[in-house]
Amino acid sequence: MIIEAGKNILRFLFFILLQVTIIRHMDMGIYFNPFLFVGAILMLPLRLDKTLVLFIAFTTGLIIDMFYNTMGMNAAACTFMAFCRPSVLRFYSPAGDYNADATATVGSMGIRWMISYAGTLIFLHHLVLFYLEMFSFHNFFTTLLKVILSGVATLILLLVTQSLLFRKAS
Amino acid sequence: MSGIIAFLRRFYFFVLFIILEIISLAFVFTNNYYHQAGFFNSSNRITGTVYTAYSGVTSYFNLKNINHQLAEENIHLLNLASEIKDTSTHKKLPKTNPFGQQFNFILAEVIDNSTNLPNNYITLNAGTEQGIGEGMGVISPSGIAGIVTKASSHYSVVMSLLHKKALVSAMFKKSGTFGTLAWGDKMDYRFATLTQIPMSEKVKIGDTIVTSGYSNVFPKGIMVGVVDDFKSIPELYFYVVHVKLSIDFKNIKYVYVVSDLKKIEKTELETNAENSLNEKVK
Repeated sequence: MIIEAGKNILRFLFFILLQVTIIRHMDMGIYFNPFLFVGAILMLPLRLDKTLVLFIAFTTGLIIDMFYNTMGMNAAACTFMAFCRPSVLRFYSPAGDYNADATATVGSMGIRWMISYAGTLIFLHHLVLFYLEMFSFHNFFTTLLKVILSGVATLILLLVTQSLLFRKAS
Repeated sequence: MSGIIAFLRRFYFFVLFIILEIISLAFVFTNNYYHQAGFFNSSNRITGTVYTAYSGVTSYFNLKNINHQLAEENIHLLNLASEIKDTSTHKKLPKTNPFGQQFNFILAEVIDNSTNLPNNYITLNAGTEQGIGEGMGVISPSGIAGIVTKASSHYSVVMSLLHKKALVSAMFKKSGTFGTLAWGDKMDYRFATLTQIPMSEKVKIGDTIVTSGYSNVFPKGIMVGVVDDFKSIPELYFYVVHVKLSIDFKNIKYVYVVSDLKKIEKTELETNAENSLNEKVK
């Protein structure tokens, strides 16, 4: 139990540091702005209490806000994502529900499940975040394009990070 | 009463979600120009430490560019100094400081900077202990960079010129016609827009734009950029001028924070004048 919690905390530290140091400075223009740190929230144990997930997501969002000077925008987006997570999990649940030790990794759930689950939640997170950031529907389609392209970038980065670093976790 | 408890028990997850969203959105909407929530910005010690460590590693990569910038600035200053020594040109020098020093420049190092977000910020490794305060202008060797929004004892957060709320009073160097410089139209880190230029001004591509000094933030005549393109808005009798910024936001390392030594005196005078005027009206 304690080992499991420790693993999760380490994963959060790793994703947050990766986000605010390396990914934040990967300059790929205004359309590609990945937020890989959401992977830490996505990879929480699937059976974890949803209220706890909500609080963890809110706190993580605030920490990222501190580094990005976005004050609450990431917190709002992450809380929204955590709120949608139980419904998304139910929607994509395999026949006979999730195994007790199932984790949100390619190794445990397969690539198709991972893409649909992570893809949906990443899209919802980016949608809230980028529209809050622009603070208007003035450039509606530009922002939508940014949501989609950045979301795809985040998803690819998450799959790559998982296959490189979290193979044993499955 | 039991009805409320039953409701909360049933929908507690949704209610909790709404409460957390309201808290986050309250942070977003109370994020005023100078009054940011104290803890949630990159001037605190945690973010400062992470950024300093990161900048310690990456600062080596663009040393070549930085050296070049500093060398160019040295040449510029040497030229200015030689002009002052030459007494024959003394008459041409503007009498900017007849009553002593007005501006004090504080050196700071950029430890974090972004260019591709809708609202960009710069984090500096100097704060109130070095004399930096909120509302001060920040300039780099090649042009203006931003305005300090939050200073802690050892770090400060600067609203970059690449920020939707960053407005700077700027003017044409040759004529002194001034307007408001803003960023955000195309979200390109190389360009900004100068508006409210009256159509009586003869705008030419390549004209130099400098700060006007009217806003108390920047000294007069600091380089901003050159005119890249312009179009007229006949119904308002205005030009909208696209300015190519002289500062390269991807390569800033050392900046100077401008502390206006006479700002307090000036604001005091202005408020006093306003107060006495109000009293007379009564």
